[in-house]
Amino acid sequence: MSESLERISTAILEGDEEKAPKLVARALRKQVSAKDILENALLVGMGEVGVRFKAGDMFVPEVLMSAEAMRASMELLRPELIREGVQLFGKILMGTVKGDLHDIGKNLVNMMCEGAGFEVIDLGFNAAPEKFLDAIKEHQPQIVGMSAMLTTTMRAMGYTIKAIEEAGLRDQVKIMVGGAPVDAEFAKRIGADGYGSNAPAGAELAKQFVGAA
Amino acid sequence: MRTNYRMNSGVRFQMLSDDQLEEMFWGVLHLLEHTGLDVKHEEARDILEKAGAWVDGERVRIPSYLVKESLRMAPRSFTLYARDGNPKHDIRIGPGRAHFGPGPTCPNFIDVETLDRRPYVRSDVPIVARVVDALPDIDFCESLGTVSDVHHDLGALYEFASMFPNTSKPIVAWSYDQHDSAGIHQIAVAEAGGQRAFEQRPNYVHYCEPLSPLVSTFEALEKLIFAAKHRIPLIFTPCPIAGGTGPVTAAGIVTQGAAESWMGLCVAQALQPGLPFFMGGVYSVMDMNAMILAYGAPELPLFMAGITELAHYAGLPLWQTGGCTDSKCFDGQAVIEGSMSVFFSALSGGDLCHDVGYTESAMTGSVFQLCAMDEAIGYARRITRGIDVNDDTLAVNVIHDVGPNGHYLKEKHTRRHFKSEFWYPNLLDRQDFESWEMTGGLTLKDRTVARVRDILATHSPSPIKPETEKVIEKVLAQAEERVKEK
Amino acid sequence: MSDILEQVSTAIIEGDLDEIVDLTEDALDEELGAEEILNKGLMAGMDHVGVEFKAGNMFVPEVLRSARAMQMSMEILNPLLAESGVQMLGKVLLGTVKGDLHDIGKNLVAMMCEGAGFVVKDLGKDIAPEGFLEAVKEHDPDVLGMSALLTTTMRSMESTIKALEEAGVRDKVKVMIGGAPVTQAFADQIGADGYASNAASAADLAKQLVS
Repeated sequence: MSESLERISTAILEGDEEKAPKLVARALRKQVSAKDILENALLVGMGEVGVRFKAGDMFVPEVLMSAEAMRASMELLRPELIREGVQLFGKILMGTVKGDLHDIGKNLVNMMCEGAGFEVIDLGFNAAPEKFLDAIKEHQPQIVGMSAMLTTTMRAMGYTIKAIEEAGLRDQVKIMVGGAPVDAEFAKRIGADGYGSNAPAGAELAKQFVGAA
Repeated sequence: MRTNYRMNSGVRFQMLSDDQLEEMFWGVLHLLEHTGLDVKHEEARDILEKAGAWVDGERVRIPSYLVKESLRMAPRSFTLYARDGNPKHDIRIGPGRAHFGPGPTCPNFIDVETLDRRPYVRSDVPIVARVVDALPDIDFCESLGTVSDVHHDLGALYEFASMFPNTSKPIVAWSYDQHDSAGIHQIAVAEAGGQRAFEQRPNYVHYCEPLSPLVSTFEALEKLIFAAKHRIPLIFTPCPIAGGTGPVTAAGIVTQGAAESWMGLCVAQALQPGLPFFMGGVYSVMDMNAMILAYGAPELPLFMAGITELAHYAGLPLWQTGGCTDSKCFDGQAVIEGSMSVFFSALSGGDLCHDVGYTESAMTGSVFQLCAMDEAIGYARRITRGIDVNDDTLAVNVIHDVGPNGHYLKEKHTRRHFKSEFWYPNLLDRQDFESWEMTGGLTLKDRTVARVRDILATHSPSPIKPETEKVIEKVLAQAEERVKEK
Repeated sequence: MSDILEQVSTAIIEGDLDEIVDLTEDALDEELGAEEILNKGLMAGMDHVGVEFKAGNMFVPEVLRSARAMQMSMEILNPLLAESGVQMLGKVLLGTVKGDLHDIGKNLVAMMCEGAGFVVKDLGKDIAPEGFLEAVKEHDPDVLGMSALLTTTMRSMESTIKALEEAGVRDKVKVMIGGAPVTQAFADQIGADGYASNAASAADLAKQLVS
């Protein structure tokens, strides 16, 4: 790995959200390809973050700093990648379902997904099925993620999936669900494509959906 | 600027009032003056008589003024040093600090490979010392066993000789007689760089045990006199059993035990004014059915809290007991008894808390119990560290900025404080069910065994000086020569 | 069982030191034999105590009080038993070995053995092999019990057994040992006849050794 790529990857690992995009801009000026920067610097750094997090050597606030540095770098890089014709990970539409105001878990998943290189559109909390439908039509995401914290509100996930089916959009998206009361069994029952038991698992699942894991 | 504002940043725990402590204090002085103790060592009796005690055959009675004078001479605050100069391994004795470590002399040991109970052998000593060296909340070292596979007079000496190179944390050393004491002293002094350097930076504490009720034995005093003459910090720790060798009541056993300790204090301070001296004990109940000294009984930490408060009232540091269990295996009982007593020890703040890692009522030492208790101590220490209240920790501005329905994960305030405000477990599992299942569905016992084995595979303590290694060889060779005929 | 024997047995179980002497005399007044009072009154009571103790319903201080009541009754019965030639359970000689001043464990064993009906001769603590040997010659016990708390002092048990052998009296006495560091393996190694891990089982062991 060249020194400039290594410095970017270190800035990601250290969660330096100011330095990382600066180094990315500098590398682009030096004619390093955007694809090279993504694959050999940003994703390498985030990969190491994932390893350290799983080993208990990094903690959530630190992972989020890295994700923030990644997001800031991707903002710069995304137009370049499109110009180079690089296939991006894609878009994720995320929301906490109707009736539920708990969105710390969903926010964590968002940040982890952004850290993994996805573009995330956040519908916020208390998002009704119609809101999901409109957003799917507007943003054309590859993945829809839904979160619920309560046993009373988790049923709204099933209604939302039904609404997506009835609107004829079900085949366009992969659907992932999560949240404290949710489990794999429930995900299967309501016809979701996958379930993540925690935020990093959510990001991993998203990567699997787009064939990047 | 703050003014007229009182702060309690830690947990304040006090059981006895000053009035009660004063009453107990005078109870001890009364015992020493009117009942006295049998002192089975002529030189010690001479020392005491010269200092002003009344000697009548073996019975020695000490006037109150002399006890108070001895208490005045002993320091409340001093430092025990890491042999390698690593300040993280130093122990600063003083108000508001509790330290933890294993105990000595269990006949049996839980084998690290097979997990079977078997006699304690010489090769177990480095295992215990290295685990102690690695565990973050274990502060001093003892061996958890009596070495059974060397000459029976040399167990204590071999034990120290094997502990010393395998941890740089301060060691608490016991001995059979003053030959052992001298050998141990020689090794420690060699590493410190001479007697004078040792006196300034003592790297071990000498442990002696009088007999309850009310006997200062020849062996205990022989060792005490050696330690005092060489200015080795000293622990004089009786082990009265409530209802057996001590009164059945908490106040009574504390009073008797203190009298037994302070007899040693008076000899030590008469010989070496200002010698660092820990009063001690293991005080617990005799289970009136199982007929054992119950190491897991709630009365043990209760008695310890009482004696801690009396020691601190009198201005002495305390050698106390906790983290031990009567359970025969690594189970819920072991963890309940160990964790409860560790938490209570941390609260009452006795200066050195030993016997962490004892199972089966002190019959079997276990590094697994020790490792689990390290976790319990970390847990307890987070609580006793308490709550800081200031503008920054109050975070009124941060709460304002985040506002309703925001989150704190990305706040600088969170990033700045999350590591110091939260305690992170090494053994306790907090994963979600799926992750736990995927990582093998391990129990606390599985994770504890794995952690101990991991430490033994990866942790290397800082080495001793090459010249100390030679001194160890010489001391052991001389000792073998001495016992050859026996 | 007659009413008076029942009362004797109850007084033993309850450790009734005020009543036991009178009740023993009452039983003798009713012309019951000393042997019958011993077996159906005192021993019946102590057997019950043993069962309750093992079940965790009675505690050491209570057992010791029962044993004390038994002793008080035996002081009256002993001369009569000797007269009628009744064989007592036997005599146990006890001591803590040389160099060892810890004797709470040995004291417990002594009290448990007395409670079981033995005559106990307690030599105290810090007893050298010669001390045990002389006492064996003098008191002619059925069982010799040695106790040690320290790994260093327990070696002295071996010397005592050797001393008994050399003096030719080893066959006259059963040797049992105990104490925190002592194990069955150690007992086997030094040629003791038995090992007990606590005071109650020591009394049981003594009974086995004399039966």
